[in-house]
Amino acid sequence: MISSQRIIQGLSLTVFVAALCQAPRALLSLWPADGFIRLDPLVFLGTALADRQFAPLLWVAAAVLLLALVLGRFFCAYLCPLGTTLDITDRLLCAQRKARLKKRAGPPLRSYQNHVLLYILGAAVLGISLVFFASPLSLITRFYGLIIYPLGAFLADMGLTALRPAADRLDLTTLAYAVVKAPRYDLQWLTLLLLLGIFAGGLWSPRFWCRYLCPSGALLALFAIKPLVRRRVSGDCTKCGLCVEKCPMGAIGGPGADGSEHPDLTRHKECIACLSCVRICPVQAVSFDLKPPWEIPGPDAILPDTGESAAGERRRLLAAGLSGAATAMVSLTGLKSPHAEPGPGSIVHPSVIRPPGAVPENDFLARCIRCGACLTACPTNTLQPLGLAAGLTAFFSPVVTPRRGPCDPGCHACGAVCPTGAIPWLPPAERRSAKVGTARLDRRKCLAWEFDKKCLICDEVCPYDAVEFRVVPGQPVPVPFIREYKCAGCGYCEHHCPVRAVPAIVVTPMLALRLAEGSHREMAREMGYSLEVGKKMDGPPNYPGQDASTPPELDENGLPPGFTE
Amino acid sequence: MRFHPSPDPLTETVSFVDRKLNRRQFLKFQFKGALWLAAGAALLSRPLALQAGAVPDISVVKGDTGAATRAAVAQLGGMQAFVKPGDRVVIKPNMSFGNGTANASNTTPEVVRELVAMTKEAGAARVRVLDNTLSQPGPSIADIKAACGIFNEDIVHALNDYSFYQPTKLNDSWLGFNKTDVMQDVLKADCLIAAPTAKSHSSTGVSLSMKGMMGLVHDRWTMHQQGLDKAIVTLAAFLKPKLVVVDATRVLSTNGPRGPGKIIPMNTVIASADMVAADAKTVEMCTWYGKRFKPRQIKHIRLAHEAGLGRMDIENLTIKQTEV
Repeated sequence: MISSQRIIQGLSLTVFVAALCQAPRALLSLWPADGFIRLDPLVFLGTALADRQFAPLLWVAAAVLLLALVLGRFFCAYLCPLGTTLDITDRLLCAQRKARLKKRAGPPLRSYQNHVLLYILGAAVLGISLVFFASPLSLITRFYGLIIYPLGAFLADMGLTALRPAADRLDLTTLAYAVVKAPRYDLQWLTLLLLLGIFAGGLWSPRFWCRYLCPSGALLALFAIKPLVRRRVSGDCTKCGLCVEKCPMGAIGGPGADGSEHPDLTRHKECIACLSCVRICPVQAVSFDLKPPWEIPGPDAILPDTGESAAGERRRLLAAGLSGAATAMVSLTGLKSPHAEPGPGSIVHPSVIRPPGAVPENDFLARCIRCGACLTACPTNTLQPLGLAAGLTAFFSPVVTPRRGPCDPGCHACGAVCPTGAIPWLPPAERRSAKVGTARLDRRKCLAWEFDKKCLICDEVCPYDAVEFRVVPGQPVPVPFIREYKCAGCGYCEHHCPVRAVPAIVVTPMLALRLAEGSHREMAREMGYSLEVGKKMDGPPNYPGQDASTPPELDENGLPPGFTE
Repeated sequence: MRFHPSPDPLTETVSFVDRKLNRRQFLKFQFKGALWLAAGAALLSRPLALQAGAVPDISVVKGDTGAATRAAVAQLGGMQAFVKPGDRVVIKPNMSFGNGTANASNTTPEVVRELVAMTKEAGAARVRVLDNTLSQPGPSIADIKAACGIFNEDIVHALNDYSFYQPTKLNDSWLGFNKTDVMQDVLKADCLIAAPTAKSHSSTGVSLSMKGMMGLVHDRWTMHQQGLDKAIVTLAAFLKPKLVVVDATRVLSTNGPRGPGKIIPMNTVIASADMVAADAKTVEMCTWYGKRFKPRQIKHIRLAHEAGLGRMDIENLTIKQTEV
């Protein structure tokens, strides 16, 4: 019979994956795509520390922590999608693990959970968020959203293509024309290898990641030293040791004074309340009950985690925290660090075009946990993970990549799924004013300017009407001009520009609106921008640096663009 | 929904868009339509009875959109002159832009709907309305898809995915634009009907039936690199629709192809079996940027004429002009 744990786990994982993969329609879905990510206690604490404020969306993780006082690390056993995935991969690796352990059983491993946690918090104290290194929800969202989802879409597309001739013959029109656009993501091997490494821990022990590395587990453990509902063993216990052997977390028993196993003792900080021990106990001696503390017959816990001296452990934990702080400091001294003071001398990489509505860069990096939910949600696939162009602290953060896809002014799926408010969701009118950059024309590459070809694609595709073709004396064909005050940096022009390699029209993050608060619409108006989709400009433009010598609309023969004598 | 059925005699009997027709209603509607058309033709074309019997080179009809579309094709001998029973038909309207109906940068949905109805009456086995849309396919084709909803069939599609295209040799030349990826449905079709909207185009002057053929290939970017006017003629020579129906009910006379620009209501539909003649007549009839132009002033029309693809010398062609 399937245990209730497996049922809840299965349901949770299904909801998690379904919400994530239909993230392109995030606004319609009932369960938010970031619903699970917001439960991660490390995302809550790490982001709050680095960002110097508590993000309103993340308070639900605080509830998970407080619930640990009552229910222990139930999150790990029932809700965490990484935990569930590990249960699956551990099952697949079961045979190999047993073969390994038969050959040579190594000494018991030490848990580095607290060290990982302190490393991340150490960096967060200095305002650098390294949450993405080890947040379980960030890791697993990347796995399903950036590896499994594109693979699934790719397979579906292959299937549809294979079915197409048959569907066409049978006049199943909708099927015959159905297309699944598989997204493509940069750095996918890195995403995959990291997760495969975590899965490979199953060769040593089940739930290797949860036992030894997971910083969120460490946070939960702090609240689960003696949860109210916890494992209790009655006097019926025959000390058969089955539970000690089967516990996926290795949380039961341990060398007693006489060197024997003690199935009646539990390390509650490591127990995830999966209830395996309850289910397998041959004499039903194990229960998880809510009992007042005074009714507990004897000691039920093993408090010291290891035989190590407490002082040695303290030193190591301190070192971990200091290493995190040191990592942050080294990052801050990097040339490309976006945390430098603004003004001359600070380098903004031209490819770092942030999603529309992204908060100012430092806040953005403090909040972004690189879960990739926005990348999965983006319907045009324009959002891609950044490499090292802006240094380690901006690694894997999302950037608009117009060459791959335009950033649709009618869409704010990225804002709808962002769990931490790095990209706050904006209502449509605000969204359209959320300028992400400005297009720049390289006349020396432009087909019209340089090669005298009648090309007008940038004008044709611009939803903001920010490209204008004019007849210019000396130019045999109409040539494009960018009206910067109308450009929102959506990148339709760059995406469609027929000039290969570096296109003739390129969006850079220049003049992007990055507001911590307030209205993008108001700010755009304040700056003299006219960011309207598909609307005619009313009145003459008024913006700083405007070119007063507007070339004539008609050429010297009085002909409009495209007409000849 | 921006599209509203107009109260012309063909459509006032049955409201189209809001409910779907069953087969019986549809046939009844067709019958009534044919009656009205016969009556209209008998009454209105009397002054032109001199030409009766001869099929004109160009048919120009002014009137309510649906009726004008029908009459324009009827004057060329009816759809059965172009579509044989059992034919596979592809109709290529302009439907590249999300707000295209409002901006007059997409073909009026009613024109497309009437064309689909006529091809079905003529016995077409399969009708598809296809385009490779420039912007997001969903909103771009929405209005035309809704208008064609009455046929209870999935007819209207934006085919932007490469898997719908097939590498095709356009001509035997080994220089320049000689091969491209063409929509498979078009290659397999027995009859291609171009249904462009009349609009200006800031690089080719106007965008009509010949320019519209660019929506049936996958890589139109290359065409800009090759020199657009020449490439348009090369492609049109290969695809060459059997029938061209230009929707000049509302003409986007400036700031095309996307708009928004100045829209001039003309309530006119122009049809011809000669794509160059249809385009030439449209250029001549409409006002562009506040002025009138000769067809030869559009370079791709001139090149097509010179290449013998069709005729732009409309003064030498027979034109049947009516009102419904």
